[in-house]
Amino acid sequence: MLEVRSVAKRFGPVVALDRVSFQVRPGELVGFLGPNGAGKTTAMRAIMQLVALDEGVVTWNGAPVDDAARLRFGYMPAERGMYPRMAVRDHLTYYARLSGLDAAAAARAADGWLERLGLAERAGDTVQSLSSGNQQRVQLALALLGEPDLLVLDEPFSGLDPVAVDTLSEVLMEQVERGAAVLLSSHQLDLVADLCSAVVIVDRGRVVLRGEVDDLRAASPVRHLEVEFASPTAWSPDGMGPRPPARRHRLELPAGTAVEQLLGSARAAGEVVAHRYGPPDLSEVFRHAVGRPVEVAPAPSDAEAGRDVGSR
Amino acid sequence: MSGQRRVLGGWGQVGLVAGREIRERVRARSFQVSTGLLVLVIVALGVIVRVGVGDGPGALRVAVVDADGGALEQALVAAGERSDREVDPVIVPDGSTARRVVDDGDADLAVLAEDRQVLFADEVDEQALSIVRQAWAALDLRDALVGHGLEESEVAEALSARPIEATTLSGGDGDDGLAILVGTLAAILLFITLQTFGTYVLTGVVEEKSTAVVEVLLVRVPARHLLAGKVIGIGVAALIQLVLAVTAGMVSLALASVSVPGEVWSALPMVLVWFLGGYALYSTLFALAGSLVSRQEDAQAAAAPIMTVLIGAYLLVFFFGYAPESTASRVMSVIPPLAPLLMPMRMAAGAASVLEVGLALVLMVAGVVLAWQLAGRIYNQVLLQRGTRISWRAAGAFLRGD
Repeated sequence: MLEVRSVAKRFGPVVALDRVSFQVRPGELVGFLGPNGAGKTTAMRAIMQLVALDEGVVTWNGAPVDDAARLRFGYMPAERGMYPRMAVRDHLTYYARLSGLDAAAAARAADGWLERLGLAERAGDTVQSLSSGNQQRVQLALALLGEPDLLVLDEPFSGLDPVAVDTLSEVLMEQVERGAAVLLSSHQLDLVADLCSAVVIVDRGRVVLRGEVDDLRAASPVRHLEVEFASPTAWSPDGMGPRPPARRHRLELPAGTAVEQLLGSARAAGEVVAHRYGPPDLSEVFRHAVGRPVEVAPAPSDAEAGRDVGSR
Repeated sequence: MSGQRRVLGGWGQVGLVAGREIRERVRARSFQVSTGLLVLVIVALGVIVRVGVGDGPGALRVAVVDADGGALEQALVAAGERSDREVDPVIVPDGSTARRVVDDGDADLAVLAEDRQVLFADEVDEQALSIVRQAWAALDLRDALVGHGLEESEVAEALSARPIEATTLSGGDGDDGLAILVGTLAAILLFITLQTFGTYVLTGVVEEKSTAVVEVLLVRVPARHLLAGKVIGIGVAALIQLVLAVTAGMVSLALASVSVPGEVWSALPMVLVWFLGGYALYSTLFALAGSLVSRQEDAQAAAAPIMTVLIGAYLLVFFFGYAPESTASRVMSVIPPLAPLLMPMRMAAGAASVLEVGLALVLMVAGVVLAWQLAGRIYNQVLLQRGTRISWRAAGAFLRGD
């Protein structure tokens, strides 16, 4: 199990990490969320022992991460990087060797991942001759070589097309089933909500929320009620003021609100086709946790006409 | 299967890094083309010299108008032998024929025995003239001795030249010019190779940082092992190129029939030792310079201080190399960054004592170790700092800070 314990790091006047703590268990896929500049990349570098910490410690199975443990961590940094003029297969075998595999195992691992990621026929080509999407696959393969115990992936989905996103999702689920611990950062919150069992949300170097996705949603102090009318209808829910005519109305309510009463007023206003009531989706949980508008979430609360509501 | 991992020792990692460096470099088209061209040009020079010049200076063609039944021709050939010059005499009937033959370029000179005259086409060849004088002097002496009643055989006995041996009081062959030439050539060769291969290391490090590949490398290999592997790998690739060039040079010299003085060969091991020391020191510093920048465009600027020292050391060879016994020369030739260029010069001149060479080597090794320690500590901290160029001053602050 990976444990990040009260880790702190400042760069001059900037506090990058302020006593950050969280855990990733084997067979668990944890989403690491936060607005840009929140400290995600620094935390991931700290796990990979690339940052000298001011305070705290990162442990693997109870002991501080040493070279032997780190050799079994796969890492995909935010800033992708490979030797541009090296052949793809050579690059993978070289890295596998540096990761402690012998020559035969390194060749097997490289070929296996090239096959799995659909790059087998590009094995002899130089890295720079690949499209950026394919380069990203090679970068992912570098992290996956040799069945690592822990995967630390910084924005693995950025820049991928939908097909590649599906492939990567599949691969990650396989790794989790195999028993690997996976930590990934992303701004694509629906994807994280689909894939990850747990999330850690950081903002300005602090952990602001962490836990199972469903628990966090259930524990949210807000609920959402969405009401769909047959035709655009004006509606004045109790104590919320009048709302302009729209087919769909979406309300943010404190948890524990009497929904039936609200629905009664809706039915009085017009023909209600459908309604949905439940906890907020992950992006809303995220928004609340961060406590200010961020680029990944829609503007808060207003029941905007025609705005689609996330599936969760 | 997932358990089949082994933590590599330091040398295992350095070996893998160096191996990649050698493979990628030797496989690169640019390396193959530049090495091929280098070898081709060097061999071509030898071929050109051979075709253009032929086998050394040709025989001296002498048109002889002789009144003495062949004695002059024999004397000319004999005098030529003593001067290491082959003489090819041709008998012509009279002076006008001799003039015409020289004028047409069929002979280099003409000797008119009765007029005691020597004719050249354009300018007087002093060596040829000297050979003719010797031949004539020998003939005159013979005539005089025979006139005093000696037998022909006794005359021949008296005239046969006994070999003379030349020695110097200092014991050597006294060729200061050659020593200076060897020392200068060694300095030039060392300067070019240190600069070229140092630049390879510089650009190689900048490539790793500018492409950000260094971040995935650093989670597998400590910075100091990356540094060592790169320096050793590029050094080996460079030596392969150097050995091919030197081999081509030997072929070329053989083709051109140039005999190489023994001093040049005996200087080679010394050049190699100083190359290794100089390369270890300078390439480490070049790697450090490369680690401070994130773009190839900034690499030269970051390396400028090191390049300045290297060029300075090179220029000092020409200031102090010709005064190898001076105190300034003695002091400078043991200082590590200067020693790889200055010491070979002084050694070639025979001016460096064993003590001085030993001291220079010890300081050199100490300098390399120090550079390694510094580079290892700074390297680790700056490799992940991408963006603007990090100043040497800021890099120095890392040493005090951490």
